[in-house]
Amino acid sequence: MSVLEVTDLSIRFGGLQALAGLTLTVNEFEIVGLIGPNGAGKTTAFNCITGFYTADTGSVVYRGRDVTRTPPHKKAAMGFGRTFQNVGMVKSSTVLDNLKTAQHARVRYDAGAGLLGGSRVTAEERALEQKSDAILELLGLTEVRDLRVGGLSYGTLKLLELGCALATEPDILLLDEPSSGMGPEESHQLGERLLDLRKAFGLTMLLIEHHVPLVLSVCDHVYVLNFGQLLAEGEPTVIQTHPEVVAAYLGGEAPEALAQTHETAEDEALDDQLAHKPAVKKAPAKKAPAKKTASRAKKDPS
Amino acid sequence: MTRAGITARGGAYLVLGIVLFLPWFTTDFAKFCSLGAIYAMMGLSLNIVVGYTGQLSLGHQGFLGLGALVTANVVAQADLPSYVGIALGVLASAAVAIVLGLVALRITGLYLSLITLVFGSAIATSLFALPSLTNNNSGVQLVRPPYFSGNGDWYLVCVVVLLAVYYLDYRLTASKTGRALLAIKENERVAEAFGIGVTSYKLLAFALSGAIAGLAGGLYAFRSEIYSDKDFQDPQGFALALLFVVLCVVGGLGNRLGVVVAGVFFGILNDLLDRLFGIGWVKDVVENIPLLKGYYGANKGSLASLIGSLLLLQTLLFNPGGIGGQLRPLSRWMTGNRFELHEAAESGPAAVEGSSVRA
Repeated sequence: MSVLEVTDLSIRFGGLQALAGLTLTVNEFEIVGLIGPNGAGKTTAFNCITGFYTADTGSVVYRGRDVTRTPPHKKAAMGFGRTFQNVGMVKSSTVLDNLKTAQHARVRYDAGAGLLGGSRVTAEERALEQKSDAILELLGLTEVRDLRVGGLSYGTLKLLELGCALATEPDILLLDEPSSGMGPEESHQLGERLLDLRKAFGLTMLLIEHHVPLVLSVCDHVYVLNFGQLLAEGEPTVIQTHPEVVAAYLGGEAPEALAQTHETAEDEALDDQLAHKPAVKKAPAKKAPAKKTASRAKKDPS
Repeated sequence: MTRAGITARGGAYLVLGIVLFLPWFTTDFAKFCSLGAIYAMMGLSLNIVVGYTGQLSLGHQGFLGLGALVTANVVAQADLPSYVGIALGVLASAAVAIVLGLVALRITGLYLSLITLVFGSAIATSLFALPSLTNNNSGVQLVRPPYFSGNGDWYLVCVVVLLAVYYLDYRLTASKTGRALLAIKENERVAEAFGIGVTSYKLLAFALSGAIAGLAGGLYAFRSEIYSDKDFQDPQGFALALLFVVLCVVGGLGNRLGVVVAGVFFGILNDLLDRLFGIGWVKDVVENIPLLKGYYGANKGSLASLIGSLLLLQTLLFNPGGIGGQLRPLSRWMTGNRFELHEAAESGPAAVEGSSVRA
């Protein structure tokens, strides 16, 4: 049985059909990529799947259960962990408190018992702290434990947000652009980390990602969205050379459109990857220099 | 902690306990001190709404009045024991607060403040003024329970209840509820992604706030030994609502120790001013300044509000942490940490501004 089955999901915002009949499947232990140009509806799809938006039509089935209308906090308790496009954390709290907050649905005492206190609550709070420390150690972020989240660098925040998502004890992890704000080496590290996490926690993942080398190295399957519709799906290497996908990213088939579509650095990298096919072969080769500088990046995550 | 450290802190707590006990020996002053404890509870109550959930309530005197009304009528008119009266006052205030909480689920910010403002006046002019509940507008007399009949005795009751509420507030912030409220205050989406049920926690916050205010109201009714709706009718009612907001800010939003200190200060302020102007030479000096001649006698209450506004101004301009921020080195020391006037900066300037998370 697949972990997540999305069938014919559609949502309309006023005159904009943000999603039109999205169907996708995520199988156990798979890492599935969701890519597409800006405004294609990727994040909207995430929001529909995690319950932040209610889709107009279609269904979301999680391990055989229809969860189309389940509110997000209940989905989090069921095992949906998610991150946000820009960082979704409590910025005025410390890193440790954020990780404890993220474990909210796993806390075994109820609110009333928490108000009265007692040894059981104290023990449980200590367990939450230990779990948080374990996650920080796993991510190599122990030194920021007691710092306020608001003061940390963007790359560290993205990694911490992943830590918070892990703290919710997810079964399926939905990551919205986990490598944004990271350099090539860091994002390569992130790829390795995601693969390690899948192994360690038995995770299934769905990720929105712009960084092509990362998609190529971690995803088992890729869905391409454009204007709310599924444009293509398949193995990453196949998708990469898919003519319609290339056209969608470059804005039509005409090669002269190329110059106008360089919106962001990520897009530029993507264009490079897609436009010059030989560059694709370079992608795995990029990993080698990345490893050399890995220790530097680790030493100073902030 | 060293042995000397434990001894020093134990001594500090002993001194604090003795200071808290001293008003018991007085009669009039004890009555003002119980008002201080009641205001401190109101501060903690409002702090849950303003400090923890980030919404401004301008109608908290309504909950205080409701607690007082229910307690007085249950005890004096229905002839039930005082603790039953107070408990029913707590329940009634919590229930009404949940209704306001239901509004707060849909409306936030300025408009919610307006609604609470209207709530405060509306409940005073309607429910509080019912002749059957106010003994035909002459006030419901009630007798304090035996053993607690003196002003000093009732002061001790107020202090013990305040300490219990203080502990509850501490537990709130130390448990998952406090973390959930903070997450909701900053970003509801993030809170939901963490598995926090926004609706239930917002309602819980309002219910707790209402319950504490209702409890303070019950103590307030017994303190005055009479329930009269006059205290809660505007303009006095609104002045109370403002006072609670001011004492929360002056104490330091979200800081329970600061809020309690500010509450006690504003509770006894009028008495302190009375005593100050009762001193012969102070009176002479003030009466000899032509501009101020007769001012104090005629404008007793307004001097206290003037002091409140000045304190508010200095807090906002120079001292954003409030009294609680100033007391932090001391309170950290009392809870077993090293005494440091300036805590190490926890982090540099914020790299990511604002809390707008696109989702």
